[in-house]
Amino acid sequence: MKNLSRLTIALLSCTALATPVFAEGDKIIVGFATAESGFMQAYDKPAQDAAMIRIGEINAAGGLLGKQIEVVTADTKTDRAEGAKAGLTVVDAGADLVVVSCDYDFGAPAALAAESSGKISFFLCAESIKAGIQGVGPHSFSASVLAAVQGATMAEWSYNKKNARTFYRLLDTWTEYNKGICDGFDYMLPKLEGASLVGEDTFKNEDASIAAQITRIKSLPAEPDAIMLCTMMPGAVSAIKQIRAAGINSMILNGSGVDGSYWLSAVPDLSNFYVPVQGSIYGDDPNPDVTAFNAKYKAATGGDPSTQYVYPGYVMIDVWAKAVERAGTTETTAVVAELEKMNAEPTLFGPRTFTAELHHQNSAKYLIVDTENGKPGVVDSWTISAPIPVADLMK
Amino acid sequence: MQTLFDALSLGSLYALGALGIALIFGVMRLVNFAHGDVISFSVFALLWPSTDAVALVFAGDLPWFLLIPFVLLMGAGLSVLCELIIFRRFRGANPATMMIASFALGFVIRYFLLMLFSSRPKSISLLPALSQPVEILGARIPLLQVITIVATIAILFALTAFLKRTRFGLEMRAAAENFTMARMLGVRANRVIMGAFALSGALAAAIGLILASQTGTADIQMGGAVMLMAFIATVIGGLGSLPGAVLAGFLLGAASVVMQTLLPIDARPFRDAFVYGAVILVLIFRPQGLIAAPGTKERV
Repeated sequence: MKNLSRLTIALLSCTALATPVFAEGDKIIVGFATAESGFMQAYDKPAQDAAMIRIGEINAAGGLLGKQIEVVTADTKTDRAEGAKAGLTVVDAGADLVVVSCDYDFGAPAALAAESSGKISFFLCAESIKAGIQGVGPHSFSASVLAAVQGATMAEWSYNKKNARTFYRLLDTWTEYNKGICDGFDYMLPKLEGASLVGEDTFKNEDASIAAQITRIKSLPAEPDAIMLCTMMPGAVSAIKQIRAAGINSMILNGSGVDGSYWLSAVPDLSNFYVPVQGSIYGDDPNPDVTAFNAKYKAATGGDPSTQYVYPGYVMIDVWAKAVERAGTTETTAVVAELEKMNAEPTLFGPRTFTAELHHQNSAKYLIVDTENGKPGVVDSWTISAPIPVADLMK
Repeated sequence: MQTLFDALSLGSLYALGALGIALIFGVMRLVNFAHGDVISFSVFALLWPSTDAVALVFAGDLPWFLLIPFVLLMGAGLSVLCELIIFRRFRGANPATMMIASFALGFVIRYFLLMLFSSRPKSISLLPALSQPVEILGARIPLLQVITIVATIAILFALTAFLKRTRFGLEMRAAAENFTMARMLGVRANRVIMGAFALSGALAAAIGLILASQTGTADIQMGGAVMLMAFIATVIGGLGSLPGAVLAGFLLGAASVVMQTLLPIDARPFRDAFVYGAVILVLIFRPQGLIAAPGTKERV
């Protein structure tokens, strides 16, 4: 049977040369223009593996619109020029959906190539508002949640559940992602009655020492209830380690970028440390299906998910496939229209909403992971009281 | 008080780096841009090669009295190896050629690490006992900061004694002042140069140790930022002048900390621009550096 379908595919691809219109008749193609080499590979590969798991599930259940999903790939080599080429390569291979790198800067060239060919593009896990309509065009989406939602979630949650009233804001000016977290925090803080910002500072991810920044925190009249730390790896570890080594025990709030236990050995016995995540990699997700997914991921890749950034890949294929199913076609405009109709669409990792204005999540249900004595675990979940308005996100 | 310690500890890092570069420049007029990669290498020498997210510790768990000599030896060893295999063949070449060769060598080391360890930064817990705060003169200071400062001062004293009191040190100073003359007077050039490389490599390893225990991270690019600052310190200190390099290293560290403390929040992200602005000012008024090395005077 398998051989037979291969034969038909082979035959069809021969006829395809002559009649390209019918070329994709019996299959749907997902093209991955992602990094298979270079430093982005560490971020793209896990999410892509998760996407492949969802594709495998769909194919096993009979495919999409009765057709099997096939995958084509092209390596961006973590290079922007190569990214544009990779985007064109998968479009030329007939991709109905173009999946691009996790990060806006590295994914955008391929996404723009897809956009100009009239194809849907999905960023694997970019968390900048530019990864979508605002930075690419009306057919571009991101599978993750905006960084600003993470900052806003942590501010509101710690205010309500941990009674935090005095906040300190420490921003690493390296990336847009970091600024995004602090933007969300800045948006939420004035809405919290009685909460105040007692100080703020900046540092650079590559700074060998943030001693001067720490001295500023310590010269406050009282230790702040919470430090909003807007940073990412590898500087995050350094900052956290130095804050704790200086004897500051305030609760530390972060974005999802520092999720994972792989770095905890660097700060032995870390406590009072909180991260928002879309799903738990620690085997304690309140949703047993997530734990089941983790097992599936381990079976497919040989290792447990190392961070929550595995999950958006799964969500991406899930929502796109639903939209295709509802539209009854893979044709771009129809699928985009179906995606934009999604309002709190349930997925394994929380509800997802797309609108004609925003192809990203400006509100999401987050699990709160607390690390105590070096052991992370889910302690709560939180959804911000109101989505962050697009106008505030564009500031 | 606290700010003083911050400035001294950051300055120590830069001073040690500048010293490592100045040592080699002194004896062979080579600006060794591979210095930063020697720093990274000595940290990665503590790990087993692997591309996993979790670091597989190899020598990192040794007790400190074995760990520190091991790392210093790794740095010195790599540095000497570079001299034996690469720089020895550039003896007669002009300084620009040697500089390019050192750039290339830096890339080779970095990509070698990339191959073995991937570009993903790894977390390691090095000398965790140092991540405790201690009380000194009313300020709560991370123990590591204190040790960094004390160790740097100790290294500086030891190095001064070595250069001033031993025969090898004398030869090294003579070579730094006038290499041709020193050779004619019986100083064995290769031995002196190798010694300079070994010392410089060990200094790089010391920086690596401090950085890794401070940040808890091993990153193949970790040496780059310190190397750049250290190089600038050697230039404003007066290329080839050891006391100048140390002084400038401390000044740069202090400038960086003071700017971070005094600048308004909106200007703080541009802190380095202010620091480099100050560097330009220094160079305009003292192009030969703060303490010009005698051997380089006539060039200016």
